[in-house]
Amino acid sequence: MAKRTYEWLLPFLFTGGLILARYLFPSKMTFITEVALYTLYVMGNNILFGYMGYVSFGQPVYLSMGAYSAAIYLAYLGRSPLVAILVAILMGVLVGVLMGPVLIRLRGSYFTLVNAAFCAIGLFTVERLLIGITRGNDGLWFRTRMLATPLLDIRQPRNFFFFAIMVLLVIFLLYRRMDRSVLGVAFKATQGNERRMQFLGYDTFKIRWIGFVLATVLSTLAGSLYAINFGFVNPNLGENSRAAEVIVATLLGGSGTVYGPFFGAITFLGIKEIVSQWITRWELLVGVLTIVVLFRFNRGVWGTFMDLIHKGRKTSVLQRE
Amino acid sequence: MSVWLSAVVYGLSTSAILFLVSIALSVGYGLMRIVNLEAMLYYSLGAYLTYTLVSTTGSMWLGALCGVLVGSALGFVVETQLLRRVYGKNMLFSMVTTFSVYLIGIGLIQYVWGLNPKPVASPTDTMLRFWGVAIPLYRVLIIGIAGITYIGFQLFLNRTIVGKAIRAGIENRDHVQALGINIYRIFTLTFVLASGLAGLGGALNAPLIMVGPYMGNDMLLYAFTTVILGGLGSLKGTFISALILGQVISIGGTIWSPLSFVGPFFVMFTVLIFKPNGLFGVKGVAFGFDQ
Repeated sequence: MAKRTYEWLLPFLFTGGLILARYLFPSKMTFITEVALYTLYVMGNNILFGYMGYVSFGQPVYLSMGAYSAAIYLAYLGRSPLVAILVAILMGVLVGVLMGPVLIRLRGSYFTLVNAAFCAIGLFTVERLLIGITRGNDGLWFRTRMLATPLLDIRQPRNFFFFAIMVLLVIFLLYRRMDRSVLGVAFKATQGNERRMQFLGYDTFKIRWIGFVLATVLSTLAGSLYAINFGFVNPNLGENSRAAEVIVATLLGGSGTVYGPFFGAITFLGIKEIVSQWITRWELLVGVLTIVVLFRFNRGVWGTFMDLIHKGRKTSVLQRE
Repeated sequence: MSVWLSAVVYGLSTSAILFLVSIALSVGYGLMRIVNLEAMLYYSLGAYLTYTLVSTTGSMWLGALCGVLVGSALGFVVETQLLRRVYGKNMLFSMVTTFSVYLIGIGLIQYVWGLNPKPVASPTDTMLRFWGVAIPLYRVLIIGIAGITYIGFQLFLNRTIVGKAIRAGIENRDHVQALGINIYRIFTLTFVLASGLAGLGGALNAPLIMVGPYMGNDMLLYAFTTVILGGLGSLKGTFISALILGQVISIGGTIWSPLSFVGPFFVMFTVLIFKPNGLFGVKGVAFGFDQ
């Protein structure tokens, strides 16, 4: 009983921790906001990578898709940021539902590589093809067009911080619900042994499709929040070479766990924050970090912590062969 | 008419580069069952070494040789030190590992050569005339080199005992080991060869493009597209899809310039919808994808 209450409290504890950190270190507010947003993005990748065992080198495209759908809505069509977020979520559902059957059919490396190609097309589209709408590398600015939202005016960074934390809390609760439900177990079981799942009467294609849609929606949601936070978007967000970052963050936190993405985002962004004071382009570090984490520390921060609490319970997919 | 003829020749030279670089990915899939992404590092290094040697000694061919040697040497180190640990594991291990090696290499390249793109002078400016169309001799040379490489590789695979062991390894590596052949030595040999060819591809491509730290990213996508379109693990498939994609890039770009970038991906998507294993891909569990 005591254990259940403590597990119930975790999402509140983590988001509360972020709010506490914001008041302890007021100068780090932008960083903490980014942690909240990045967590959503990593959560999306975690569904693909941790739960279903799919590696995607194209995650940035979904992030930038969300950002651009929100930005285009705000810059040309409407003025309410909340509607823009809704538009981005709908965009995620649409892309997930339409692209899912094509992508999810491909296994293993095919999925990874086709996603990478998709990401390149996405980058090309926003950078050159739709340059009249997206303004290419100059970025699309819309901060002045945003109207105040009721109750909490999220145009201001300190209000946006609370908004991001609230979104994170809601997603945390939903994510944990997913992890505990049949769906979460079905994701992992499909990864473990698809044929057995089919024998039990599950439509494994549909399970993977749902997973893909959920991952896409989380990425586009994170993207739209990024866009609203900055007040502009540029194609950098969807750069191919950044595809490894989200995978590193997922691994760092502990893949296939509910709270792993949160710790992955903190650790990854923390390292980035510290290191970027010395070097500007830091591919080198991402590379070294990934190899070390993959070979020596593949349970991640949260995974290691969970191991210490209950010994013998495996949650990481990488442990399985 | 003359536009189309030169477009075809340009396409063939693009195919040649694509083919040289994609061999590394293709045999990596076929033989070792790993996704060999750091071939793009040898490709970039080959181009950068060519740049350095052209600017110091003036000889591009010396640069190409240097690119091949350094590519092979690095391939040997990476294969024996790092990739040995990921054989037989889940595909994502090799993908994430080799991509990290690539990123590390890109980081080092930026430290050594900086961020600015470097131009490399072509070794020969001679133009050949075919039916009144001027074609650069250098592009014809590239096509010739790639053609010789393909024939040489096929002869090596079909006529020598080591080549036959490689082909047997692609088919079933347990049986090869049961015959007393050290499969890991064959892996190393193949990997070194393929890395050297990727280095050669980079060196040959250097005069045609600007040499920049991110040149590997674009090539990565094109090489993937080539290998996926041809079917993972098939050398013939890689050769034919490189021929197709070279023309798509070149002729597509002549018709409408954005097609030269996105054309290959659309071809790949279309083929994958109808044939999920690519044009010459082996179906089923033979390549370890449906496990």
